[in-house]
Amino acid sequence: MAQVPVQTIHRDPQLFYWILVPITIVMILTGVLRHYATVLMATAPKKLDQKTIREQRSLLHGINVRSNFHVLSKRSFTTRRDALTTAYESGAYLKDPERRGQAPPNPMSDPSSMEGMMGMMKNQMAMIIPNTLIMSWINAFFSGYVIMKLPFPLTIKFKSMLQAGVATKDMDPRWMSSISWYFLCIFGLQSVFNFLLGNDNAASQMAQQMGQMAPPTGQMFGPGVDPDKQFIAEVENLAVIEHYSVLDGVEQRLLEGITV
Amino acid sequence: MAPSLLHPPSQLSHAAALQLSQQAPAVLRSSPSTVSASPLSALFSASESPELWTKYENLLLSCLRTGDERAAHQCLERLVARFGNDNERVMAFKGLLKEADAENNGQLELVLKEYDQILSDNDTNIPITKRRIALLRSLGRVSDAASSLVRLLEFSPTDAEAWSELAEIYLTQGLYAQAIYALEEVLILAPNAWNIHARLGEMQYMAATASGAGAGPYRKYLAEALKRFARSIELCDDYLRGYYGLKLVTSEVLGDSAGSTKQNGADEFSLPDPATIERLNELATAKLSEIVRHAAARDPGWCGYDELEVAAARELLTKDASALPGVVR
Repeated sequence: MAQVPVQTIHRDPQLFYWILVPITIVMILTGVLRHYATVLMATAPKKLDQKTIREQRSLLHGINVRSNFHVLSKRSFTTRRDALTTAYESGAYLKDPERRGQAPPNPMSDPSSMEGMMGMMKNQMAMIIPNTLIMSWINAFFSGYVIMKLPFPLTIKFKSMLQAGVATKDMDPRWMSSISWYFLCIFGLQSVFNFLLGNDNAASQMAQQMGQMAPPTGQMFGPGVDPDKQFIAEVENLAVIEHYSVLDGVEQRLLEGITV
Repeated sequence: MAPSLLHPPSQLSHAAALQLSQQAPAVLRSSPSTVSASPLSALFSASESPELWTKYENLLLSCLRTGDERAAHQCLERLVARFGNDNERVMAFKGLLKEADAENNGQLELVLKEYDQILSDNDTNIPITKRRIALLRSLGRVSDAASSLVRLLEFSPTDAEAWSELAEIYLTQGLYAQAIYALEEVLILAPNAWNIHARLGEMQYMAATASGAGAGPYRKYLAEALKRFARSIELCDDYLRGYYGLKLVTSEVLGDSAGSTKQNGADEFSLPDPATIERLNELATAKLSEIVRHAAARDPGWCGYDELEVAAARELLTKDASALPGVVR
């Protein structure tokens, strides 16, 4: 097989200083700006009133009793189970007992949950707007150039990624266009932001996208969840526990395990 | 282990607390007096870390304990400058300083009124609620403190600190059953806390040996106390309090020859057979003397025992040896 001749394209070395470096600097600066915009726009967590706290922590209490029942003696556990079951079933811990049995309010119309959604919207906006702006800026000024050659060979599949905006069929995929450099910056600047802003920065969009892909599992007290149903479910969980205690036979374990 | 400013100083000995508070001028000088939250300075200077604020809080507590109130006020100023006057934790620290500055009960009552005022504005301010309870207790109004704690636990039943405080208050009032209940709640929240297991065992031992306990509850409490101590040793090797309690309980059971061997109901723990108790007693004695010997010789790896606890263990061993002169081990 004949050796494919190495493609050479004569570029102005100034391209490097006037495209590569500006795009990188702009990307870093936007990241930093986005971080501080997110920090400034973040709303303080809403104060919960006493009844809400009571509702949530009572449920947590039940969950704790259920998961750590083995530290209790059987009698202590049964007492607690009976008390919790009665309270849960009668709805004593509910925030507003008279609304019991009604459908939960639509989260879209509930003002308290609207705030959470607004927060999410704001974050989304802080990501979308700068990205659109920068992308159109790059498209307007720098589209159509090949700006650098990667120092390692690549297969043909990378062509669409690296040479976006340069529609040539035969060019080696090692050549890179400015848009592609922009994408590389989006994905690759995480460590730079970590260095500049600390670990829990809001600059990188990758982290945020990851967060969206895995929906938060802690949706215990979110809007649209009926606490009464949670309490009833917890009653069932408590009811099926077959009690054993970690104290059963502890003397034997101790005598076997410890030698003087 | 050298005392560190990153851990809460409540468990420290007096000497260690003094050592910490003597570091105050150095710590206050070495860290910047205000941390700016502005983006520009954060880019160029070292950013603030949560450890810094933990340090200030612990330093404040140590300084108050050793009477260095000027340094404590400086710590508080920095906390206020960073978090503002409305932060709940900072409010609690401010109250604490005011309590420390108060010279008589009248001024303390004023601080108490302030707490009530804060709580009437915001009834979910848990740090202030806890300060108020502590103040009530130190003013001697123990039953008020207990009822406030019950009210706090009514809406926040997952607060281990409050449960254990309630247990101690009930214990001082001699309400053993309530104290045991409260301490069991702590165990539910922290199932592997060996010190709580041992403390529960101690409470059950106290409940058993308190006058007025009938024969049934007596055996029940002793059985559970024995198991609690055993569990605490299982969780933490060479735990002095656990072995001490185990020795006390087993001696108590062995000495109580009058007790019937009647088993408790199925719901209760029952005492193991006498041979096992005898072996447990021997194990506890052997381990205690080992610990006492090593701690007295200050062997490496055996430091960290509280000196008073070691002394108590030694006393228990001597008493035991003199009570049973015929037994040769």
